[in-house]
Amino acid sequence: MTDPNAIENNPFQELGEIPEKKYHDGYKISSTYIPMRDRIKIATTICLPKGLSSSEKLPTLLVQTRYWRAMELRIPFRWILDDVISSTPNPEIYTSRGYAIVYTDVRGTGASEGTRPHPWYIDEIKDGADVVDWIISQPWSDGNVVSNGISYPGICSEFFALNNHPAVKAIMPGHAMWDAYIDLAFPGGCYDWKFMEIWSFLGKNLDKNNPKVFKQLLPAVWLIAKGVKPVDSDKDLKILIGALNQHKSNRYVYEMTLDKNYRDDPLPDGTKIIDTCIYPHKEELEKTRVPILAWCSWLDSGYVDVIIHRFANLDNPQIAILGDWNHGAGYPANQFFPERVKVTPSPRERINAWINFFDKSMKGNSIQGKTLYYYTMVEEKWKKTIIWPPKGQTMQRWYLSENNSLSRTLPRIESGADSYKINFRATTGRNNRWWTLLGLPIIYENRIKMDEKLLTYTSAPLEEDLEITGHCIVSIYFSSTHEDNAVYVYLEDIDEKGNVTYITDGQLRVIHRKISTDKPPYKIFIPYHTYNEEDAQPLTPGEIAELKFGLHATSVVIRKNHRIRIAIAGHDKDTFYRYPSKGTPTIKIEINEKFASYIDLPIIKKEI
Amino acid sequence: MEEIIPSLRNMLKQAIEYKVDENNLKITLIVKKEVKGPLAEPDEVITMFQMLGGLKEEIPMEINIDNKAQKINIKFQTKEDLNKIRAIINTIWDNTVDLLEEFIAGDLTRLKDIPDY
Repeated sequence: MTDPNAIENNPFQELGEIPEKKYHDGYKISSTYIPMRDRIKIATTICLPKGLSSSEKLPTLLVQTRYWRAMELRIPFRWILDDVISSTPNPEIYTSRGYAIVYTDVRGTGASEGTRPHPWYIDEIKDGADVVDWIISQPWSDGNVVSNGISYPGICSEFFALNNHPAVKAIMPGHAMWDAYIDLAFPGGCYDWKFMEIWSFLGKNLDKNNPKVFKQLLPAVWLIAKGVKPVDSDKDLKILIGALNQHKSNRYVYEMTLDKNYRDDPLPDGTKIIDTCIYPHKEELEKTRVPILAWCSWLDSGYVDVIIHRFANLDNPQIAILGDWNHGAGYPANQFFPERVKVTPSPRERINAWINFFDKSMKGNSIQGKTLYYYTMVEEKWKKTIIWPPKGQTMQRWYLSENNSLSRTLPRIESGADSYKINFRATTGRNNRWWTLLGLPIIYENRIKMDEKLLTYTSAPLEEDLEITGHCIVSIYFSSTHEDNAVYVYLEDIDEKGNVTYITDGQLRVIHRKISTDKPPYKIFIPYHTYNEEDAQPLTPGEIAELKFGLHATSVVIRKNHRIRIAIAGHDKDTFYRYPSKGTPTIKIEINEKFASYIDLPIIKKEI
Repeated sequence: MEEIIPSLRNMLKQAIEYKVDENNLKITLIVKKEVKGPLAEPDEVITMFQMLGGLKEEIPMEINIDNKAQKINIKFQTKEDLNKIRAIINTIWDNTVDLLEEFIAGDLTRLKDIPDY
């Protein structure tokens, strides 16, 4: 949760005051099937403000999801709540401010017909344009459409813009992906197999209309939901049953990626991971000139870096926001304030800010240029920048040194290394930045015990506050007893009492360590690894190699008298695949003058 | 969903009334808020008692749904059975909201006690 008193540069306040409601009597819900160009029927739920006269015209918010556009509720919830109550965003706020909302089940999901070979495939994206054609032909439509969503629907909104439909005036991808390989499936080339497995399991069961899947994953939803909401006209459920049969041909990412290693590995259907990525469509997206409001959190998976990559690479008018909540902002996630229970701003305040953005976007050129708002943890302040890295950023080098120390001074010893036998029981648990992709809270807790399983390097108490904002870069000289393993590096804060607080981390599977001199496919702020098969470099056991990679971006102040810790692991058992699959490597990290291992911290110098 | 939880307890209590007719071994649930579509299927009523009310045993009951009047009539064979369901109904809406609050807060202690549906 951000500090509610952090007012200066607060993006939610800068997006404007909340205007008077236009409609006061709630909203009405209906549903229909919209036929696509190939006759596939897309299940659609429409929310309009009650009391709308036949002459009134509204802009429309389109939300496309693969997680059921609306739920058939169990009793007693069906008796008292509206059908779409568990969907986001809550229709009450949008409709009261004069928007229609259209929710769709994307092709091959929910109550929609069709099949899907992989997420965000071309037909699914094109459906967005067909749905817009339908929307603007409705008597209540003013011809303007905006789109938003969190996670999958957020990614849909960005792909949706690629249709370059003239009616689309703005998009708002929340907690969305840019590069499926490193942001989601293979961060640092390490397979995030737990998420991929659970996400696929969830998708498969949703597509079968099986609510039992929620029991373990989202038990509150399970208590409420009985299944996907059928379309009103489908009284005998014939179309729904037919659609569920078609979903049986869907394919799921876990089965497609489980045996993969490289970014350029072909998937079973002949596609590649790149086909599910936004970044190759940069030029098409820029051509649309559609304004983008993108938001995420410092602690959300690799999606934090998406905000920075999108900001640095896309020329579209853009507002970008990085806060300190979990994936989707359901829970506060600032690890320095574990006692906080609510996210600030509240969902209502947030949605109103989003509507302000859409209102401005539809007024022509109200959104111009690019601004990135970011929240600096511990300092508990919002800041904003029009460039990345932010003004004043310099790299400050800290060396891994003798006696597990972290020092500003280059090691003077001629030889020296620390051995570490990889502890395959090491874990960041199931409430980490990767598991939050399932909507779970982020809780790293005090890492003092876990660090006993890791190799750590700790600084002396700081003499003054130190702001770190951006991507830390580690360079480790090391050797291993095996050809392959992974290295996980955690940046931590230790307070005067010895409490260890997680800040961020980074990971790299060592076979991907080659730093490419090629131009990366998009601007990045860390060493460039291609993750392609031709660049794979198995280790020669016993031979020293350099491992240089970036940590996920962060913004934090480490207080005076606190210490900085770098903790190194070889596995994170509840999240990532084991490298190597058999055997227990011992790695040796060099900490000497010739092979000086270090971390560069992106610090922001205080203006005097 | 979190937004509606604080008001859910009152919404449930205000929207759903029940009457007990001990002489005829009958409980009637009355839904006062207008419901779109059919009120419920009989098996949904039992599922509701099991998921949200903690009903563990099989109690013989005859459930009749009056969609027009928005009433669910439940007829029992014994007074003991009637009292068991009466006790469940007395606490079911509080229990429902408590469960939701627990699950949202990540406390899944009671999840294992609820059968799969």
